[in-house]
Amino acid sequence: MTTPLLQVRGLVREFGHGPGLVRAVDDVSFDVMPGEALGLVGESGSGKSTTARCVLRLIEPTAGEVRLDGQDMLALKGPALRRLRSTAQLVFQDPYSSLNPRMTVADIIAEGIRIHRPRESSSTVQDEVVELLELVGLRPDHLTRKPAAFSGGERQRIGIARALALKPKLLVCDEPVASLDVSIQAQILNLFAELMDRLDLTLVYIAHDLSTVRHLCGRIAVMQDGTIREIGTREQIYEDPQHEYTRALMAAVPEPDPRSERAKLTARRSAQPTGASRP
Amino acid sequence: MSTQARPDTSAPADVGSAMLSVRDLTVTFPSAEGPIRAVNGMSFDVRPRERLGIVGESGSGKSVTAQALLGLTPREHTTGSIVFEGEDLLTAPQDRLRALRGWDISYVFQDPLSALDPTRTIGHQVAQPLLLRKVPKKEAHRRAIEMLGEVGIPDPARRARNYPHQFSGGMRQRVMIAMALIGQPRLVIADEPTTALDVRVQAKIIDLLYRLTDEQGVAVVFITHDLGILAGLAERVIVMYAGRVMEECSTDELYYRSIHPYTLGLLESLPRITGPVPERLVTIGGGPPAPSRLPTGCPFHPRCQYVQPECRTTPPPLEVPPGGEHPSACLRAEWLAERPGELR
Repeated sequence: MTTPLLQVRGLVREFGHGPGLVRAVDDVSFDVMPGEALGLVGESGSGKSTTARCVLRLIEPTAGEVRLDGQDMLALKGPALRRLRSTAQLVFQDPYSSLNPRMTVADIIAEGIRIHRPRESSSTVQDEVVELLELVGLRPDHLTRKPAAFSGGERQRIGIARALALKPKLLVCDEPVASLDVSIQAQILNLFAELMDRLDLTLVYIAHDLSTVRHLCGRIAVMQDGTIREIGTREQIYEDPQHEYTRALMAAVPEPDPRSERAKLTARRSAQPTGASRP
Repeated sequence: MSTQARPDTSAPADVGSAMLSVRDLTVTFPSAEGPIRAVNGMSFDVRPRERLGIVGESGSGKSVTAQALLGLTPREHTTGSIVFEGEDLLTAPQDRLRALRGWDISYVFQDPLSALDPTRTIGHQVAQPLLLRKVPKKEAHRRAIEMLGEVGIPDPARRARNYPHQFSGGMRQRVMIAMALIGQPRLVIADEPTTALDVRVQAKIIDLLYRLTDEQGVAVVFITHDLGILAGLAERVIVMYAGRVMEECSTDELYYRSIHPYTLGLLESLPRITGPVPERLVTIGGGPPAPSRLPTGCPFHPRCQYVQPECRTTPPPLEVPPGGEHPSACLRAEWLAERPGELR
């Protein structure tokens, strides 16, 4: 029996205090096995991004346990924590605000390597950066350019190359295609699938809708109000959803099929009395 | 008011029952690299109570088109004609446009946070179109509360006293819609009104727009990058690419019998929630061109899997191909019309 790469137990994160106290993450537990892609799906305010950031310890959890690659993520500090952090990297949602506009692509990708392996020769770093660029489908002549010269999709590829620079085992992706054009979204989703294959990567993929994760993730957790409502395999979630909330999310996903969409619209309209203003 | 006398300019003969008739709309912005043609010869009609979808990716010119419809693009850079109920908006005086905007034609912006004034209450902002038209304050406020209720804001009388930061994204978007509707417009232009909203909120906004057209006879032009959203709402769809119309037809024609390679590619690349999960999503290679660096010939040819040599030099006209049912700007439209929708 293989051990999970990531084990989360009883994770809690609170914000504020007194009467304004909010439990953004409320007793969340899940495992991620090596080589799998877990989808974390929920609407805004469901706690999915806070969960991901707690797992990477970008924000400190209030309570709970996070084990990454067999080590207690929350007990470590200093150099030991830094070493463990290279095991798990984050791909951000917004490819515009997450790249420093003053740095060249080469520097953006190499930054992590320089921090974690300060004695590495610059030619080795350069070779690795070129390799990373090719891995994500960019060209070596892109290296000296700055983020402004790239489209959203290309920027997201740069962000992915940066995340891969430290050879992580786990990639946490926070809605990485949400702000991209439709025709580019599919390219990036394919890239993730390809990278998982080639690099034996494990993925935690955060999304607000159920359609993108379906292609990438073998297992899906549906979050609402800080808790996991339902977790299961792709087949279980899409073919036999147990929780009412999962079913509601599923019903609301618009599909490019006018006949079924019109049927859904009619069903919604007959479920809700029209015209009446609410009290 | 909407009832005031309109200068009755002679409408083109082909308008028929259209309330809005756009002909050869072209918007060109000057830039250091030379003029950028954001919209290139758009023509379309909107009939009363119609739901028209305009779909396109970034740089397709869809938002500039929307702005032009409200007379918000600089006139010296806008050519063609936009005739709304017999009146050309591109030659109408500015004060006439001001009278029309927010009243006969209104606009729902993409980003509700930057479009709302953070220092004024929600109620005041929703009432503003009425206040500007000298409706008494009390009456305007009463109607604002009523309208907030209409768009599904719970406890509208209390929430009208709130400020934008006290509202969630979905609620702000509904406020924008309330603002757009309070003047009882006959045409609503909605530019990506559901982008960045959760799917359940998105569905509610769609339902609301549907109800408007169905029950109040308002026409809606819905602009988006997402073909999924248009499927249930739109009756007719225009697909834009690089400032041009690529395909135009009824919604069912488009989704089931498209005869344009770009539309087919867009439909194919959408991840779906039902049906088999493919090993890889089919993609359109490359990305949409920047309006400043448009390719020669057909603007889509560098990404097209059915490209032929003449596509690189000859811009395809938008026309109904022999054997086809609707217009498609593709040199191979006739070939595609023999197998409509099959290539998805």
